[in-house]
Parts: sequence; C-alpha cells; structure tokens
Amino acid sequence: MIPPAARERLREAAGPEALAEHPPLELEGAPVELTLSPADGPALGRTLAALSELGLAALVRGAGTQLGLGNPPRRADVLLSTARLRGIEVLDAEEGVARVRAGTPLGELRQAAAACGWEPSLDPLSPEATLGGVVSAGVPGPRGLAFGRPRDAILGLDTALASGERTRCGGRVVKNVTGYDLAKLYAGSLGTLAVIEAAWLRLRPLPEATALLVAPLAGPDARTGIEAARLASARVVALADAALAPRLAPTAAGGSALAVIELAGDAPVVAADARELASRLGATAAPSDTLERLRAVLAEPPGDAALRARLDVRPSRLAACAAVLAGAPLLLQPGLASLHVWLPLAGEAAAADRTAGGDPVARAFERLGTAARAGAGRFVVEAAPLRAKQGRDVFGEPPEGLALMRALKQRFDPQGVLNPGRFLGGI
Amino acid sequence: MSAAPGTAASAAALLARLRGILGPAAVLARPEELLAYECDGLTLHRGQPTAVVLPRETAEVAAVVRACNAAGVPFVPRGAGTGLSGGAVALSGAVVIECQRMNRVLEIDPEDRVAVVQPGVVNVEVSKAAAPHGLLFAPDPSSQQACTVGGNVAENSGGPHTLKYGTTTNHVLALELVLPSGEVVRLGSRSGAPAGYDLVGAVVGSEGTLGIVTEATVRLVPIPEAVETLLGIFPDVVSACRAVGAIIREGLVPAALEIVDQRTIAAVEASVYAAGLPLDAGAVLLVELDGPRVAVAAQLERVRALSSAAGARRVDVARDAAERQRFWRARKGAFGAMGRLAPDLYVHDAVVPRTRLPEVLARVCEIGDRYALRLSNVFHAGDGNLHPNISFDRRDQDELRRVLAAGEEILRTCVEAGGVISGEHGIGTEKQDFMGLLFGEADLDAMRRLRDAFDPEHACNPGKVFPTTRFCVESDPKARGYGRVEIA
Repeated sequence: MIPPAARERLREAAGPEALAEHPPLELEGAPVELTLSPADGPALGRTLAALSELGLAALVRGAGTQLGLGNPPRRADVLLSTARLRGIEVLDAEEGVARVRAGTPLGELRQAAAACGWEPSLDPLSPEATLGGVVSAGVPGPRGLAFGRPRDAILGLDTALASGERTRCGGRVVKNVTGYDLAKLYAGSLGTLAVIEAAWLRLRPLPEATALLVAPLAGPDARTGIEAARLASARVVALADAALAPRLAPTAAGGSALAVIELAGDAPVVAADARELASRLGATAAPSDTLERLRAVLAEPPGDAALRARLDVRPSRLAACAAVLAGAPLLLQPGLASLHVWLPLAGEAAAADRTAGGDPVARAFERLGTAARAGAGRFVVEAAPLRAKQGRDVFGEPPEGLALMRALKQRFDPQGVLNPGRFLGGI
Repeated sequence: MSAAPGTAASAAALLARLRGILGPAAVLARPEELLAYECDGLTLHRGQPTAVVLPRETAEVAAVVRACNAAGVPFVPRGAGTGLSGGAVALSGAVVIECQRMNRVLEIDPEDRVAVVQPGVVNVEVSKAAAPHGLLFAPDPSSQQACTVGGNVAENSGGPHTLKYGTTTNHVLALELVLPSGEVVRLGSRSGAPAGYDLVGAVVGSEGTLGIVTEATVRLVPIPEAVETLLGIFPDVVSACRAVGAIIREGLVPAALEIVDQRTIAAVEASVYAAGLPLDAGAVLLVELDGPRVAVAAQLERVRALSSAAGARRVDVARDAAERQRFWRARKGAFGAMGRLAPDLYVHDAVVPRTRLPEVLARVCEIGDRYALRLSNVFHAGDGNLHPNISFDRRDQDELRRVLAAGEEILRTCVEAGGVISGEHGIGTEKQDFMGLLFGEADLDAMRRLRDAFDPEHACNPGKVFPTTRFCVESDPKARGYGRVEIA
C-alpha cells in the first residue's frame, strides 16, 4: 500500500490527470494499484524524481505487448505508463528521419511514413507496440534480417533517468560520433537504465517491390534457410517445423515443414530472387496475411502449460542447436541466427520425461542450456507462466560482462526505481 | 615499498616493470623515440608520454595496465595514430599502449561471415583476407591503408560508404577488452545479439576511454556483384546538392554520394592528383552504386536522369576500374592536394541535415573568406557530413588564431542548422570544449555514468571527450576550445 501522502506527492508530480487508482493488477506477480501516465517530458521527469524521493519502484510499460519479457520484478509499487507520451513530432520526408514520442504505436508511424514513401526500420510483432517498448525490449522482428536490431534505427534519444533528470544523446542527423553512444546502452535494457521519452529515427525508403512466398520443406533445415537469407532482397526468412506450419499456412497440405520468405527491394532483384526460390525450393506466392500469422505465433502467450524461448546462436551452429531441441515445436530465423522453441511444462509430453528430478521447468531450462551451448550462443525465455520464472533467470547463465552491467545499473539507477530485478542477473 | 607516484624514482620503477613484462625492446622511453607519439593526425594537439609500450598479446596489455595502475600512471591505447581529433595523445604523462604489433587476422569464417582480428590489423587487410571468400569488411575510412581495426572501433570510423553500409558500430559483433582495472572481458556474440546490456555498442566509438580492445569479431559482407561510378559536373554546389536530395527522395541508396567543391577542384587539378576535372565546374558529384547487376543497371539510369534534371552539365560513367580510380582521385586526392598548399592541413568534420547543406556550405565558405583562409570543401553529401579543409602554416601565429576561430564558427553554424560537431573523427581533445554546444550538464553527466562504470579512476585515456571545464562555452570565453594548442 502506498500511503495517501505519497499518492498526493505523485499526483502533484505527474499531473492530476496522470494518476489512476485501481484494484490490484497482477503484473508479473506484482499487485500494482496505481498507474502513472505523465503527459509530457517534464511531467515524466517530475514523476521519476518523486518516485526516487519516496523510495518507490516502477514497472515501466508502453502498450504492454512484451510485458512478459524479463524476470519477475523484485519490487513494483506503481505502473509507469508512456501511453500519453504519444505522437509523431517530426516526419521529414526530405531527410527520411522522424522524431517520435515513446508511447506512439509503431503502426501509426508505419502508416504516416508510408504516406510519404518511407518506412521505419522497426518491425514490432504488433502494430500497437510502442516505440519506447520496442526499443527497450531490443528484440528484432522477422524483418530484422533487413532492418537490423531496434538500436540500429535510432539516431538520438531523449530519456529521463531514475533521478528524474532529463537527458539526451545522439541527434537528428544520420551520422554522428559526438559523445558516447548511450542509445546503444538504453536499447535492449528493458527500461532498467532510463525511461525513453522520444527518439529521432532513421527511416528507410519503401521498397520498390516486395514478394511474399511460402515453400514446403522436408524439415526446418538451417542450411536451406541461411542460403535463402543470403539472397540480396531477402527481408524475412522463417522456417516452421511440421507442428507449427499449419499456423502459418492453414490451407497448405499438412505434414511438412514450411519456409516463409519475404523479398523486398528493386523490382528486378526481387523478381530474380523469387525465380531462384521457385526453382530451388518450389516457393509459391503466399496469402497476404502470412506475416501477420508469423508475428502472432511469435507474440502469443504460451499459456500455463508451456514456455517460449529464443536462442541466439552462431549461424553455422543453428542446425546443431535445433537438433538438441528436436521434437519440440521450432521456428528458425536463420537470417537473424535465432530460433524459437516451445517447451512443455505440463501434460503428457512433460510427464513422460523423468529427467531433472521430474521437474518439467528445471528440465526445460536444462534443455535450453544444452541447446544454447550446442549453438555457441545464449537463450532467453521470452514468455512463460510466472511459476516457471520464479527462482530462475530467464536470460540463462550470466555473461562475462555481468559485473560491468551491475556497475552500470548502480550508476544510472542506484535506488532501483526502474524495473528492479527484471533484467539479466537480477539487475 | 614502491616510490611515491609522480616522482622520477616511480617513473623509473614503472619503466623497469614494463620492461620486465614486455622485454626491453618493446618499451620506448628515450625522448627521440617518444617524439613520433606526441600527436596523432591532428598535429596541433600534443602530449608527451612517459613511455610507449608495444605488446603482442592480450595478457601483456593486461599486465601493462595493472603495472600502470599500481604506479598511478594513466594509459592510452593507440593504433596507427591516424585519428584526427587528438584521441591518441598522451595526457598527464600517460603510457601509450601501441597495438600495432597485435596485427594478426585470427580467423576468417565464411560460414558465419565474420572475421576475428587483433586490434593492430590494418583496416584494408581485413578485406584482403576475406576477399578469397567473396567477402569484405565494409567500413573504409579514407586512411584505410594505414588505420587499424582497434582505432576504427575506438572512433566508430566511417568513410565514404557509410550511407549504405553504416559505420563501424554496425559491423562489430564481439570484443575482447582489457578493462581499465586490468581485467579481461569478452563482450557480445557472433550471433549479433547482445548478452545483457549492449556493451559492445557502448564501447564502439568511446574513443579508447572505456578500455583497450585486444580482439574484435567483425561482420563481413558479400563483395557486390556490380559497381558503377558516376561523375557529375555541376555549375554550382546548390545544384549538386539538389541532385543528392532527389536521389535520396527517390528511395535510392547509393554506396557513396560525395561532393567536391570548386575550390577543391582547383587544388586537385593543380596537383599530382589531377583527375581531368573541368576547372570551371562549380561542383563535382561522385555517385557509387553497388549491388546485384540487374539493380545497379537500372539505378544508374535513374541517377543519371536525376542529375541532369538537377542541372548537371555532364554525367560520366566510369568504363573500367582505371576510370573509377580516376573519378575517386577527384575525391580522395583532395587532402593531398590541399596539403601541398601549406605545411599544415586542418580537416574539419561536422554533420548537418542534408537539406541544409547548400546554405551551410555557403556560410562555411564565407567564414573561410572572412578569416582570409585557404578553405575548401569535400563532403559525404548523402549523410550531410562536411569536411571543410583549411591549409595553413602553424608557425604563423596569426594564421593559426584565424584557423581556430574559423573552426569554432563553423561548428556553431552546423549546430545552429540542427547538426552535430563530429560525424566520424570523434571529439578527443579537439572538440571536448565544444560539447556544451550540443549537450547540457545532465546529458554529459549521463555519459560520465557510463565512463565511471568502466573506469572509476579515469585511468584510461584521461582528459578526452568531456569538457575540460564545467563552465559553459557560452559564458566563459576563456574556456573556449583549443585550450591545449600552444599559441605564443
């Protein structure tokens, strides 16, 4: 319970319209009764300063599409929402840059940019996902093969630190080495170092041509996928095994694995690559909703009986990694050197396996660890029921730089105001 | 008992310890040996190192760092010393850790498309090693025949092809780093996904202040199937910039879009770099297109048409490699040509939104004229990155003063146009006191938090990037820039 005096202090800081009291929301195990939605940067800064002063912790949220990513918070007193920090402030069609506030749904930016011949280099799994959320999560969408990671789209960031100080880094120009590149640090930090207020983004020209293709495969063969991903116009390459294939192509003949490939670029290149895929893999045109289906599969909560994990590995070890996980539903994105897997936590499949002392959660984590080692990479459990996350690190084994990461958290947020406990290593 | 820091006895003890670690031949300390290490490519800024060490292995670098820490002496990493912002200058009697002997390409992996290299490998050598596999290392700063990968990582180097391929930060996947404490860590991964905070992203471009890179895993990209180079002759810079705007607006992403102004053309044509450019041309636009042959052929025609529509008097397409080289000579010969006009050359570096280029260039030329300087411009027009070059003689104190004053005005002009004070050379000592033009105390303080997490003692390349004074440049004229330049 937050005492009434503290509530008043927060209301004063965030603005009268910005504070909502409600019955406890169970957010990743934290019963939160207060939502703060500051309407502008100064209010965001004042809100954070007040939280620091009161010794409270905030769970930071955009649209909440990836709120399940990360460890359960060690503490969360309020929900800090960027929903009202919304709007495209600049869309410069001559320069191909945009300035966008953190709470802006990226679907909105995509539409506005497309109207003048550009597109954002961000590929969220949902059009509702906000700029701040996608950058903070740092996870590339299927088009990451062409777009890179969210960090690569950023030219400059305005942020509010846990102390409430509002800071910026980078700028609006497309080439810049003035000062440290703090945006790289904030991107993918899951809101544990700062709250994003707005960003300057580099846009990319809309492609002259695109083609969306599917091809049946005997299995989700990594080698085939890597070759497809290396075509000049490849922008999405996803390989689904036979278990997942019907989700992506419900009308296709069942029983086989499936490749979903999007090509984009200059028309002659797209045409040449499409011909190549037709002759090599028997690829044919896919229904236009195929990418939405792919994104839905990647975004969907796995329910109470399974977890979904992503493994980032060496491209050449993707096949070895997949082999360790054979039998579980698999989705490979060879161009991103990543693989998604769904592992059962209950039911017949889990019960049949008596290893790891019969604990299906421990067994799933063990298996992920083995697969990550086979791929010379790492795993992250992207979505799982709360019970499966408690007492574990969803980011797997600590990496070598953990001490530096702890030192960074200590410097940026010594009191633990921002999403404490959600990041790797309990940061 | 060790001697008190800062005394002659402690310096001698440190040298002895360094010789013990590396062997006597890898420790330089005689004044004549240190002379070459007093500055980098920015010759105006100098500092005398206590010693220069030449390690061959990571463990040696780590041992040197620990020895320096024990002696209370700072250290500064150095690659080929081609940097242009004073980043490799030793301040406070720092020990220079020269990485050029760590020059092995450790692995080329065509399957993962990565190269693993030591920091002293020369930039162009990475592409040479990758070429048999049909791959190359994309960052290609103008100094690529000399500069090292370690230096590229420190400065987040760019080059003429960043418009399409990005800068060094887009091509570094993993690093081995000797931290300022002497501890060795490996950051990043071959998959490109950061493990935790993106520390590789934070280290690239940190100008050697967060640690010493001892190994880099870099991305390799396929050698393009086709390359076409166009040279457009324009009546003036404005129309050349108009062509650039039209090309970008059309959704074309050339590998390079470079403009050479009339002043540079005159200098180039009067030099050994002469490329046969018409002396009455107002500006030259160099466009390089690369990619699949079918795409490049179509793009070539569009660029030609857009250039003509923007007012090009002539558009030539290189017929062969020799002609491509001749076209590039117009661009790359600029530094050499300007350099022969006087003993010293100041290569400026700033960025503005590319739509502001014509007006900013006019201002830059006006500033140069007002200070009676030999100033000319070559620039990466596609990304708005200006390089005003000023030929001068630093022994002429009055001219030097004018060079510095003009430089400051140029930076202010760029910032006022919505730009920044460095696009690829870095801040170093050159521009540290101009950081206040762009960033407030809170912004700089956030950057200090990163610095302090890596290097709480400020032992690694101290005195760089951050302003030397807490005073704002606006409010304290004495604090304005170039405090390290000795003007009699």
